[in-house]
Amino acid sequence: MLTSKFFHSLYLCLALMLCPHSGFAEEADSEGIRFYESKIRPLLLDHCADCHGAETQESDLRLDTPGHINLGGKSGPVVIPLKPEQSLLISALSHEDEALSMPPDEKLPATEIKLLTQWVSMGAPMPDAEVIATRQRIPFNLEEARKHWSFPPLQQLKPNDFDKSYQNPIDHFIFSKLSEQGLTPAQPASKNVLIRRAYLDLIGLPPTPEQVDRFLADESPAAFQNVVDELLASPHYGERWGRHWLDVARYADSNGLDENIAHGNAWRYRDYVIAAFNSDKPFNEFIQEQIAGDLLNGDAQPTHEQLIATGFLSLGPKVLAEGDETKMQMDIIDEQIDTTGRAFLGLTLGCARCHDHKFDPIRADDYYALAGIFKSTKTMESLKRIAKWNEHVIASPEQLEEKVLHNQEIASVQAKIDELKKQQTEKKTVSVDATGENESSEPIPQAKELSVAEQLKELDKQLKELKGSTPELPTAMGVVEGEAKDVPIHVRGSHLSLGRDVRRGVPLVLSQGDPALQNPQQSGRLELANWLTSNENPLTARVWMNRVWRWHFGKGIVSTTNNFGLLGTEPTHPELLDWLAIEFMKNGWSTKQLHRRMMLSKTYQMSSAYDKQNAEIDPENRFLWRGNQQRMEAEVFRDSVLAASGQLDRSMGGSMLHVKNREFIFNHTSKDETNYATTRRSVYLPVIRNNLYVGFSLFDYTDASVPNGDRSTSTVAPQALYALNSDLVLTAAEKLAERLIEQHADDLGLRVQSLYKISYGRLPTHSEIEAVQDYLLNFNSSPTETEESTTQNLKAWTALCQAFLISNEFIYVQ
Amino acid sequence: MLQSSAVGFGHLAMAAMLQKPGDVYATDSLNAPPQHVTPRAKRVIFLFMKGGPSGIDTFDYKPKLQADDGKELPYDKPRVQFAATGALLGSPWKFQQHGESGIHVSELFPHVAQRIDDICVLNSVHGTNAAHGGAALKLHTGSDTFVRPSMGAWVNYGLGTENENMPGFLTICPTLAHGGVKNWGSAFLPAECQGVPLGVASKPSLDANVKFIENAKWSTEQQRQQISFLNSLNRQHLEQSGPASALEARIHSFELAFKMQTEMPIAQDLSQETEATKSLYGLDDSFTEDFGRQCLLARRFAERGVRFIQVTHSDTNVQWDQHSNLKEGHNKNAREVDKPIAGLLTDLKQRGLLDETLVLWGGEFGRTPVAQGKNGRDHNPEGFTMWMAGGGVKTGIRYGATDEYGYYAEENKMHIHDLHATLLALLGMEHERLTYRFAGRDFRLTDVAGKVHEGLIA
Repeated sequence: MLTSKFFHSLYLCLALMLCPHSGFAEEADSEGIRFYESKIRPLLLDHCADCHGAETQESDLRLDTPGHINLGGKSGPVVIPLKPEQSLLISALSHEDEALSMPPDEKLPATEIKLLTQWVSMGAPMPDAEVIATRQRIPFNLEEARKHWSFPPLQQLKPNDFDKSYQNPIDHFIFSKLSEQGLTPAQPASKNVLIRRAYLDLIGLPPTPEQVDRFLADESPAAFQNVVDELLASPHYGERWGRHWLDVARYADSNGLDENIAHGNAWRYRDYVIAAFNSDKPFNEFIQEQIAGDLLNGDAQPTHEQLIATGFLSLGPKVLAEGDETKMQMDIIDEQIDTTGRAFLGLTLGCARCHDHKFDPIRADDYYALAGIFKSTKTMESLKRIAKWNEHVIASPEQLEEKVLHNQEIASVQAKIDELKKQQTEKKTVSVDATGENESSEPIPQAKELSVAEQLKELDKQLKELKGSTPELPTAMGVVEGEAKDVPIHVRGSHLSLGRDVRRGVPLVLSQGDPALQNPQQSGRLELANWLTSNENPLTARVWMNRVWRWHFGKGIVSTTNNFGLLGTEPTHPELLDWLAIEFMKNGWSTKQLHRRMMLSKTYQMSSAYDKQNAEIDPENRFLWRGNQQRMEAEVFRDSVLAASGQLDRSMGGSMLHVKNREFIFNHTSKDETNYATTRRSVYLPVIRNNLYVGFSLFDYTDASVPNGDRSTSTVAPQALYALNSDLVLTAAEKLAERLIEQHADDLGLRVQSLYKISYGRLPTHSEIEAVQDYLLNFNSSPTETEESTTQNLKAWTALCQAFLISNEFIYVQ
Repeated sequence: MLQSSAVGFGHLAMAAMLQKPGDVYATDSLNAPPQHVTPRAKRVIFLFMKGGPSGIDTFDYKPKLQADDGKELPYDKPRVQFAATGALLGSPWKFQQHGESGIHVSELFPHVAQRIDDICVLNSVHGTNAAHGGAALKLHTGSDTFVRPSMGAWVNYGLGTENENMPGFLTICPTLAHGGVKNWGSAFLPAECQGVPLGVASKPSLDANVKFIENAKWSTEQQRQQISFLNSLNRQHLEQSGPASALEARIHSFELAFKMQTEMPIAQDLSQETEATKSLYGLDDSFTEDFGRQCLLARRFAERGVRFIQVTHSDTNVQWDQHSNLKEGHNKNAREVDKPIAGLLTDLKQRGLLDETLVLWGGEFGRTPVAQGKNGRDHNPEGFTMWMAGGGVKTGIRYGATDEYGYYAEENKMHIHDLHATLLALLGMEHERLTYRFAGRDFRLTDVAGKVHEGLIA
């Protein structure tokens, strides 16, 4: 039988196989062949052969000879004998699936479709077809494709390749390139600038005046290293860098898309990420847990942490009311493939859903090899509208014990009820049997009957209460293993047009050996996780090095952080990228080590001062001749404003969602169930897709639906409206003013100095003090002339503080 | 990207198409609209009927449906249905011919019927998604699967605003459900392309306002002073750091914000309208007042050069979603919008604005000719009715047709992608050329599909 099932050889470029052509004709008698010759062959020639004939072969398909019909096309066989409903040829004719409707211009007349269907139902009889070799399609030259800069193994540099005058090899790479380009590196930044940069970069909060003073006073050579170490040890580090990862993981506390219901337990994943960064969990382990945490312990139970980590795969936005459940499932899988590809490999694998990738050497085969892995994984508990994602129970032994006891109690009450009911029925039955026709002659004692009813009533009440107070076990979003199964190619991405099966595996162009997985019993996630983090796979580490570089320096070595494919940009410093990656692996995939390495370089510590000559050669600062001035991200701005005004609540972790798991954030009523009234750090504010906190969405926060490793920086007027008129800023300004007035009740000069230190981390110049004094003197409070001078004073200072908090020097990190 | 133009609320225009994202700042001189084809309209007013109004009870007259009321549907229902349905259900409303065109309109829309000669009825629209969320996203963004920019954002990306002091895309009382912000979002397009919401569907339009447009703490004079002090801080900082367009753009943004604070309240001030105008929109009737105000605001925004204005008809229910009690529901809904919509068309026409304004009416899908329960209709994305007016469309015609019962689009089928392609064409843009490079691919509002329906362009 010629079916899609038997063709598997993915690795060989030319897998020559003999098509057992007899299959088609097995049942075919001469009448069947006559039917083909008289009705079907002419029909196919008339309507199909223009595009699928000897001259042109759209989708590699020819329909003009029996041999070619047997062979099928790019998507595998088009005719499954006896099964018209499974035959692509027939489904394409129906024009039901937009993606594959043939002939494309006009549907065939119903009579002709009927003939073709009838023919397939007959077993597709044809005269013995000539044997034609079939082959696996590789639409690119594999050797050539593997030469793309991001695919080859990491390039190890020899020690002699380094200029020894640089203590930190990063500087060797950056500065030698600068001199090559005729650029001069900027001077080191001042200590004031450096400490503010380091604080905002590593923990997302500005240094306090005391912290600045301490650093200024420390004249030892290790002063800055000490600051970096302190910051890396601060729990706020995980909040800041964990948030970077949450951008990549498209983390959100609600589903978004069509039915915006609460991810009530997503916060556990968020807290897991923060903790992972704080503990410097090796990054390879971090990835493995997120892809296959539930499988890492072999036969032993996975830890709660490992289960929570798999939430990574569950967090994507889903169309939960999709009526077509198969489509929903494939859409969810698509989201997982796309996210995994971009997050770890910097490849847009999602593009290969409908066809071979237009630009990258990624085939539809590669896509469906991965799709098989995720199809064999259970992400959803139910696909019925509104669909439910899977959750892991992550209860402690005590909680489980409590639940067991509680259930036993329920069972025992239920048993009592059942027993009483049974007695009741028996009594009735007995009484009927005993009395024959005359039931009333032997009445059941009223008192006793009542007491049973009362007992039942009481027990029912108990039961209800018990059921109502059933302890809810904590759960976390995450995936488990499903039924292990390969997935067929979906022609043009449509589940209504299935081609041949593809064995589960990884993309051919990236694999060293056979891309197919060797473990057909399980989904293959474990193998995928191991492959992603193996030393043989250069992409994962390259992508991560580049991300960290981007978050430190404002621009990646590869500026397209999520795209290392052919349409991504090439690295400005490829050797640096590889050197970092090799060192990173040597250091046990330690991200904290990586921070140290980067921040202790001269490159990191350069000033952001402008230089006309350099700017003429390299206006975009691509080669890093100076530090990049970077605008605070949305949450850094909010946290800094709260911190400066002394309002920031530094407590960590937990959920701040005001709706229960799976409940609507917005249902059809448009009633807004979000609540952002808190002074806790921004990382803990619920991330509500489709209705982000406005202070986030205005300032280029991630969309939270797709991986983002490179937030943009827009400047639009609504941001200015927010800065001028929002409660957040107005309240913070007033609190800061109160704080300053209280601290320095009598000394205006000290008060101004304190304002500069808190907001800019530096002292004011004389002329700056004068400008402030002028502003305060001229502060127009005419509408309320009669106000007390203290009130007026507070108002003037509030207006002043607001100007500082929204000024460029505050929001742009030098 | 394009920071300096980004300061306003749009006008990316050719600049963005000539330069790849990531390039340095474009200059203001590049804000001429990309005239791929002759533009017929300058702007769009989209009257969004949330929930899915029934075509076969309004603008898609089906005498055979009336005749076969209660009979079984003689052909297959769609493969994917939202809810279980029964036999054919005739329309409870009478249809009558109107205007010189003689187009049938049901008694649900007596006022709009008077304007039928200005309208191009689209009877063959079809989509793919049978649920509100997916269908609303498909209609607004062209995708029910992925996060994509909304059509208003694309229009702004392509054409930019005519008035720097106003947003280029305003959405009045939008619904937060079923896609919510995504339906007016900019996704990967520059942030200034996104819609700016005024109020939400769950609150009266009287309270609709742009966020952070008012300051309760400072008088105008105090704020003016504060901004000039802020400017001096920023100027000094700029001097220190050397030329930086991003810093300059931010300085400029405060000036613009201040202007917008002045402009928006004037744009929203209906006291400047005559009683006759207010009455035209039904502001003197408690039934039509709320939606009438939205329509009148739309006209005022159109006059001020806003490119894309969406007006949403949705209360705290799904509004046009009559799975049961079709008659009561549609009677109420139509009564709320009929007069205001007719008023808007009349008003635009008499002010000479209708020719350059494309008015689009419709919901995320239509409703089935077969009954759900006793007296309701289920969602029907297979063939439904929208209409256009003004902006270079042929008027007084019915374009396309559904089958004899109004279930499936049959003649001149117009997929949502086609609707988008045609809308862009009317605005002078070729849907295949209005692209944006993101994540290694050029994206379009119409994805890889879409066909301009020349047949309805005047």
